[in-house]
Amino acid sequence: MSDSFGSAVVGRVVATENLPAGPHQFHFWTATDTSLGIGAIVRIDDPHGKTVYAVVVDGRAYSDLVTPLHDVVAAQGDPAAAQAPTSRREVRLWTAAVLRQVPDEPLQPVPLTDVRLATVDDVERALRMDSYVRAERGTGLPIGLYTSGGTSAPIQLDADFLLGPESAHLNISGVSGLATKTSAVEFFLTSIFQTFPAQKGTIAAVCINVKGPDLCFLDQPGELTEADESMYASLGIDPRPFDSVHYYAPFKADCVNLNTLRSHPELIGSVEPLVWGLHEVLDYHEVLLNRDDIDAKSDAFIDFLADRVVEKEFRDDWGTNHRVLTFADLERFFRSVFEGLETAGRSDMWRTHHMATMRKVRNRLINISVRCKGLVTDDGAVNDLPFGEFQDRAVYVLDLAGTDQLAQDLVFTRVVSKLREHLERGDLGVDHVIVFVDELNKYAPNDGPDTYVRKMLLDISERGRYLGMVLFGAQQFRSQVHRRVVGNSGTTVFGRMDMDELATPGYQVLSAATKIKLATLPKGELMVRHPHFTQPVFLKFPRPPVLPGPIGIQRYPPSNDVAFEDAVVMQLSALDRSLEAGRIKQALGGRREQDVRRALLAVRRVRPQDVLGYFEAALGPAVARTRVDEVMSGGPALKSVDDPYS
Amino acid sequence: MPESTAHLLSQAILAAGGTVPNAVAAHSRIPQPVEAPFATADTVEHDPVRAIGLGTAGTPPSEIAFLDGVQWYGVAGRFGLVPVVRGRVAAAVLARQGQELVAQFVGGEEFIVVPVDRLPGEGITVLEQTGLTLLDSRAGDRPHPIADVYFAARVVESRREAVELDVGGKYLEKDRGGWLVVDGSLSGYDWVDNRTQLLGVVKSHETQFLQGLDLETALTLPSQHRTSVFARRVRGRRRVYTWYLRLWPPEGHDLLHGLVRLERPAADGVVEEATAVSRWLLAERAPIAAPDERWDRLLYPIRQVEEYLRARAGGWT
Repeated sequence: MSDSFGSAVVGRVVATENLPAGPHQFHFWTATDTSLGIGAIVRIDDPHGKTVYAVVVDGRAYSDLVTPLHDVVAAQGDPAAAQAPTSRREVRLWTAAVLRQVPDEPLQPVPLTDVRLATVDDVERALRMDSYVRAERGTGLPIGLYTSGGTSAPIQLDADFLLGPESAHLNISGVSGLATKTSAVEFFLTSIFQTFPAQKGTIAAVCINVKGPDLCFLDQPGELTEADESMYASLGIDPRPFDSVHYYAPFKADCVNLNTLRSHPELIGSVEPLVWGLHEVLDYHEVLLNRDDIDAKSDAFIDFLADRVVEKEFRDDWGTNHRVLTFADLERFFRSVFEGLETAGRSDMWRTHHMATMRKVRNRLINISVRCKGLVTDDGAVNDLPFGEFQDRAVYVLDLAGTDQLAQDLVFTRVVSKLREHLERGDLGVDHVIVFVDELNKYAPNDGPDTYVRKMLLDISERGRYLGMVLFGAQQFRSQVHRRVVGNSGTTVFGRMDMDELATPGYQVLSAATKIKLATLPKGELMVRHPHFTQPVFLKFPRPPVLPGPIGIQRYPPSNDVAFEDAVVMQLSALDRSLEAGRIKQALGGRREQDVRRALLAVRRVRPQDVLGYFEAALGPAVARTRVDEVMSGGPALKSVDDPYS
Repeated sequence: MPESTAHLLSQAILAAGGTVPNAVAAHSRIPQPVEAPFATADTVEHDPVRAIGLGTAGTPPSEIAFLDGVQWYGVAGRFGLVPVVRGRVAAAVLARQGQELVAQFVGGEEFIVVPVDRLPGEGITVLEQTGLTLLDSRAGDRPHPIADVYFAARVVESRREAVELDVGGKYLEKDRGGWLVVDGSLSGYDWVDNRTQLLGVVKSHETQFLQGLDLETALTLPSQHRTSVFARRVRGRRRVYTWYLRLWPPEGHDLLHGLVRLERPAADGVVEEATAVSRWLLAERAPIAAPDERWDRLLYPIRQVEEYLRARAGGWT
């Protein structure tokens, strides 16, 4: 029965010499048919005005049966014997961890009195949310609903502790395939974008999609149940997909079809190619070169190239002027140097760099355009994220699911570096940026080589909060992620966990019951740790308001790769549906593919009203190509390459 | 290797057709003398008394309650040689609802027992000022450090019986139509209507009503058997019907293992119901009342009443 405290008495604190009540943990019993469970928040009031809030972390039940043998004797050895007319006296004994004592001082053992289920207001006070939700300039960000014992209360994180500057970063763990990690992050981003406090400025998100179609349909509405909509209403969030989503994907090896699962004709128009050239790559050569390759001599020569050659006017020792802008220019530069040295018969050294070092660097750099073909081009055409023009509440998805590890590493490193540079200068376009990285254990493993990518992640983890750069990392096994990366994450979220993972030392602070609950957590439920919460809290969250990847793929099946000409038609048609294929093909007639690619990139970048007109202008006037045999007409016929002896 | 005395003795007894228990406890104290070892009984069902097989356990009645009482006493102090005994008694009726036991009536009291005639006037005054009831132990004029306490304890016991009768009476007054199972004999229930579904379960066998072959039949009953119903007298001419029931196999134990004596107010139909009542009482063997050392004769619900009363009483402070 409820009373002036607002909720019914469900239990009573007990303390014995062997099982005493302390200021941080205590025990209480309830009726056997209680609605209480692990994760429930309870309230205790003593007659002197002290209120204790606690969360249930363990539960036990036992009867007065001293030994199982007594039960065997009573049933006369027959487990199927008729049920005993009287059930044994049973106790439900719960262990609760104190969340908060009001007033805080003096900190004393929990009073041995009644236990009540927490009301909505109690939950807010228990988790200290009142300090940032009720404040004049509140910083609460709803992330789910606490639901236990019939109480449904919104749980809010403190924006100052999730997105800086007090603390920052979010790390989410959970087994794959239970729609938890990605769904939760999508929902969190929805909530953050809608409730981010105005006084904290602007915010955007960069999501790096490294597998499957999970993040490919953030602009498409998902299907929600009534329960989901009710949860959204309780949390004060509008269940709508993201208003502003920008997709980027590298090309495939053919350099015309985009390497993304969002290639359905209705959607491909909103995917921007991610194309970098030599300039974009050279600063991050450490990512692309094997660790063994990087020695002091190679590093020095690469620095020489970056400082003196690339994008500079450079005259070599044999009188040739170079202006290296692309990988093709770089190849010409190397060839000139090597031929010059050979022709001159000089030693193996050139400007203090050994020929072998130069050849090694040349091989590795030139091969980059092959190894990352589609992302890195050798013809100078570039299309990049709009650094400096990031929009508030916009999501930038980098779809790298189809690219190899090397390209993923390169994109991650460069994008994060550029974001950091711009945030340091304050010219990114937004004040805060969330970087979402899945499979964090791959990029920042706990063991293995000290890669450039891991250093980058460590740097974000440790310094990002001062810059406004926040890492949302996800992985299946938290124990496999570098300790400093997870340790610097102010907010930690757990979905259903693997039991083996829970047996690792990082989970020792959790009770056995909490671990088992984590190992059996249903879809849509999470356990959250946040700096304001002195104990982990279980909560439910609704499905994200966006189309899930697997359903999106069914609704918008990816297009098959098409021939170069057809790919151009498709991409231009996606930008202007009134365009006829015939007119586009007519414009393409006889043009070199690299020119077409460059023009196509320009159109995509500018997105003009007159798509075809702009495309034709970008192509420039057609230059009549003269056939070699016409030039050589009258001269001796060339030998056939098929028969060098003819 | 020489045989142990226990083994030697067991072999000898068994060879001559006797029985031996699985284990023999060694005692060092002589048992207290039994106050009333024998009493008379009237034949009711069969003459001589027979052992009647019951077959399988029956289903207990759906409406049933259990009554028991507890008592504590201790010497709180002395005025010279005169002991001041503090007593506390309690009793309760717990009714079974589904499989749970729920308290229906609870009673109890705390008091002081002294030999009033030998207590100095000042002692009586200060004891009365405590607010506790002062009861006379009637221990006589001659002081005895042990007998004085014994007489006081008897008063405590009688108060416990009175409280039991009080809560039992309150329960029966409601005329619920169900059964009331009482721990012990029905000696105090001479006032109840003979038709009342009242059952006493006697665990101790200090007083023997049968003799000769009848007694042997009763004390050597096989498991899941009852004796014929016979009658014993209580308070003048009133009678209760009674019979023995073996709840657990006695093999490997002493004579009285698993043996209870049941009592019901003498009335028409009681004899006919004896087998049915015995059968449903067999069902009450589960759960067993272990670890109580009387588990072979103590019904679990009765033990629960005791536990309930002890838990309510708290500490002896």
